[in-house]
Amino acid sequence: MRAAAALGVSFRSIPRFQDKAMQTRIFRRTALALLGTAAAARVLSVAAGRDIIGPAEAAPARYVLDPGRSSVRFETDFGEDKITGGMPVSAADLTLDFANVANCRVRVRLDVSRASASFPFAAQALKGPKVLDARSWPHIDFQSSTVRRNGDGALVDGDITIRGVTRPVTLDAAIYRQSGTVAGDLSRLTVQLAARVNRSDFGATGWADMVSDEVRIDILARVDQAA
Amino acid sequence: MTRGADGFGRATRSLHWIMAAGILGTFALGAYIARMEVGLGNLWLFGLHKTLGISLLALAFARMTWHLLRPPPGPLPGPPLWEMRLARVTHRSLYALMLAVPVSGWAYASATGLDVLIFSGLKLPPIAPVSEVWEDGLHLVHRTLTWTLLALVALHVAGALKRALIARDGTLARMIFG
Repeated sequence: MRAAAALGVSFRSIPRFQDKAMQTRIFRRTALALLGTAAAARVLSVAAGRDIIGPAEAAPARYVLDPGRSSVRFETDFGEDKITGGMPVSAADLTLDFANVANCRVRVRLDVSRASASFPFAAQALKGPKVLDARSWPHIDFQSSTVRRNGDGALVDGDITIRGVTRPVTLDAAIYRQSGTVAGDLSRLTVQLAARVNRSDFGATGWADMVSDEVRIDILARVDQAA
Repeated sequence: MTRGADGFGRATRSLHWIMAAGILGTFALGAYIARMEVGLGNLWLFGLHKTLGISLLALAFARMTWHLLRPPPGPLPGPPLWEMRLARVTHRSLYALMLAVPVSGWAYASATGLDVLIFSGLKLPPIAPVSEVWEDGLHLVHRTLTWTLLALVALHVAGALKRALIARDGTLARMIFG
């Protein structure tokens, strides 16, 4: 399955969150591959998983979150400016199957009560009753329903629950090897999920006259394969 | 404080004119921030409006305390009784609104759920429940009281000008020169 190519040789253009060292490595490998050296070709094929992911390894594998190295960033328009911020990922449960993407499952829970924003009023407004109402709804949850291939990445359809309101959403997913791992090593991965939501769909309507309805969300989850 | 038997002292005159400028300036700023496109560059104007409003509230208290300690002279005689009564009601209403307008703004800001910060860091305690119903209601109260205050200021100015330009009885002059 070519989705495995996402592991080591995903050339998705400039994701907002980059594992810089890893990308550098990818580009270096690309260059080598273009030079057509036999060695580089082998690296690529290993990276693509063809050599090391045998039938046994291709089975769905569970991954657990490395919370300290994972984050969620969001961004929305504020007049001519932007409000940016973040939210800790409190839990993520992933089952990845590189041989059959449809077997992938993604579940992510975000900690709204510890959300931060680019200036103090924004953080207070975000967590307050008019927007996310963190006291009543301390989590944002996402649960995948269908995972489809999309180029080197995947589209993850699922349901997101914000303020207790559940709506369908599609996350744009990319999976990378982490820096410091060798090609084909699937034990530690970086999963990037991007989505756009309209906060009014979830009743998070506060300050609608000042702050845009659309919120762009970027989840960067570093995950370890479960033992 | 220096004043003749019928004049206003320096403290009274200073408070009067500082507050007159402050009220008009704070109103103009309030009207502006209510309509502007809010962004990072102009967010501080909300803080400035609150700082000015709460400063005016403090000045209103200082002024009323001062008048209790040193009662100002009564009105100069001349106008008919109904005008004198209207002037007295207007003055009392002005004082009431100099307290009520900033307090209603403070309450409105409290109801938004955001910290009420003045002087770029001094946090005032919230004085209203955080709810959109309270927020909308208090916003309306703040606007209505503000426009009432402005209407009364206009009436007050009209009365002062009438005395200065038609009666020429020195009423305006004693608020300027003592």
